[in-house]
Amino acid sequence: MAGIAVLLKQVPDTTARISVSEGRVDESAITSWVTSPYDEYALEVAIQHKEASGASITAITLGPPRADKVLKDAAALGVENLVRVWDDSWESLDSSQVQHALSTVLEGIDADWIYCGKQSADRNQGSTGPGVAERLGLACIVEISDADVSGDSPSFTRSSSTGSERLSPATPILLTFTKTETELRRPNVRGIMMAKKAQIEIVSADIGDAQVQVVSHNPPAEKPEGKKFEGADSVPEVVGLLRDEAKVI
Amino acid sequence: MAYEGVDFYDIESELSDEEKMVRDMARDWVSEEIVPNIEQACHDGVFPDEWRVALGDMGVLGMALDGYGCAGMSYVAYGLVCQELERGDSGVRSFASVQGSLAMYPIHDFGSEEQKQKYLPKMASGEWVGCFGLTEPDYGSNPGDMITKAVDEGDHYLLNGAKMWITNGTIADVAIVWAKLDGVIRGFIVEKDDPGFSAPEMTGKHSLKASVTSELVFQDCRIPKDRILPHVEGLKGPFSCLNNARYGICWGAVGAAQSCFHSAKEYALSRIQFGNPIAAFQLVQNKLAWMLREITKGQLLALNLGRKKDAGTWTAEQISLAKMNNVDMALEIARMARDIHGANGILDEYPIMRHMANLESVKTYEGTHDIHNLILGRHITGIQSFTREL
Repeated sequence: MAGIAVLLKQVPDTTARISVSEGRVDESAITSWVTSPYDEYALEVAIQHKEASGASITAITLGPPRADKVLKDAAALGVENLVRVWDDSWESLDSSQVQHALSTVLEGIDADWIYCGKQSADRNQGSTGPGVAERLGLACIVEISDADVSGDSPSFTRSSSTGSERLSPATPILLTFTKTETELRRPNVRGIMMAKKAQIEIVSADIGDAQVQVVSHNPPAEKPEGKKFEGADSVPEVVGLLRDEAKVI
Repeated sequence: MAYEGVDFYDIESELSDEEKMVRDMARDWVSEEIVPNIEQACHDGVFPDEWRVALGDMGVLGMALDGYGCAGMSYVAYGLVCQELERGDSGVRSFASVQGSLAMYPIHDFGSEEQKQKYLPKMASGEWVGCFGLTEPDYGSNPGDMITKAVDEGDHYLLNGAKMWITNGTIADVAIVWAKLDGVIRGFIVEKDDPGFSAPEMTGKHSLKASVTSELVFQDCRIPKDRILPHVEGLKGPFSCLNNARYGICWGAVGAAQSCFHSAKEYALSRIQFGNPIAAFQLVQNKLAWMLREITKGQLLALNLGRKKDAGTWTAEQISLAKMNNVDMALEIARMARDIHGANGILDEYPIMRHMANLESVKTYEGTHDIHNLILGRHITGIQSFTREL
């Protein structure tokens, strides 16, 4: 049967300190990189789908050599095919170029199901999934919060505060995931040994022309200095400020 | 921010991708499952069964052994797992050490093919728990004089004697028991339901409270003939196991020390006295610098020993030095961290006193601090000082 593709992005650890140097985020100062959290939910569903259907998974990331880690991490969980899209001439791609490159690579992969996170934890644009689907001419369902991939007709649930809808799509299709109730599996030592042997295919791709230029990055404005209250007499004032000014109680 | 550990000398660059992945797997599990729950487990005096299941699922039990459901990873990777487990608690690392190094290893290296196939896959998965019976009530550092005896009764062995201070004993499905057969120390595989075998739990510990410690009692315990470990005789058998376990301890102690250092640093930066964080005081900085120095030395020692283990060029004396040094420094760091925490250091809100109490046991088990000194003394002088006529 046709396979499953999952798009994974490497992002700075979500709690890493981000520093800006000369108007740009200083990536060399970031010590910890991880798989973007929403992509992890997409990967988990992809693995469940594989276990139920027997289909193979191709994990695809776009990034420099350090991004191999997200592919190896995926391999440790049971992903067979690993593809890193990169060209050393690339520096900073805009979202349309990323979509262009990924869709070009996906055209060469026999995948009925394309899974990815609804947005990355660094840029938060939420454009990759819908953009890739548009370029491939596929339908796209976004913000899936639950999946049942155990049977022949997988179904997916989108939830909001006003209710939920359950969808059973035709294929091929691209689906983006928000946080699901599914517990993410951990790797194990045997999986990591398998990942050690896994080969990563490195491919370049056409990226088209950039549509957007980043003018500058700027750190958030520093928080104003806190106020200090001492003694029991200040309690009414603190309560008043928390209620009327901070609006947290 | 996710726990990152101490890495002053860029140990990270010395590790393979797989070693880092295994370390991170254990690190995440400890941060999510052990750190939030360890105080309750200590309070209740239990080793939660879900930890056994998780350790088996992660594949860390006997992970440096080859085949029979074991992963065959490097000893450095195994050491890194020990480091992370003991960052959580020495009892958790003890469980994994006993299972992998003391129970699975002797079956793997000294057992028959049938024994390996029967026991190792189920022990690697965590389905069966193992323990190791060497120490006796009257013979700790001197196991060569053990009393526990096996007698060949034709179609079975009859085991009599008692073992003490046995980690995992009461919860074990399989015990590796060392006993004298015709005056020669041999290894026997005892199963929990063997007639004449019991494993009462020892209670009242102030240390390793989240670890099961037991006696093993053999009263005319009948052991089938195919349960003797066929390929080893004498003290070489148990000492080989102990060398592996001691190796894990030298990494584990680094983990416990890092936990204490991390807590002391955070506390020193947040505790205000005389209008400043106590981290601004030179005496406190001196303590923190000493901790960093000793942890870094301990890490380098452990990594170097691990590479020697993987290359097969290690010596027992090198393991003795590393076990002794790293536990010693971890215990001193725990005490120093308690000092930095002031009175708060005795509370279970911080990991300090728990690590300190645990490390008092770790200093003594798997060869006491003094015995390791005597091993080194013999190596230096060529004169053994264990036995003498008085």
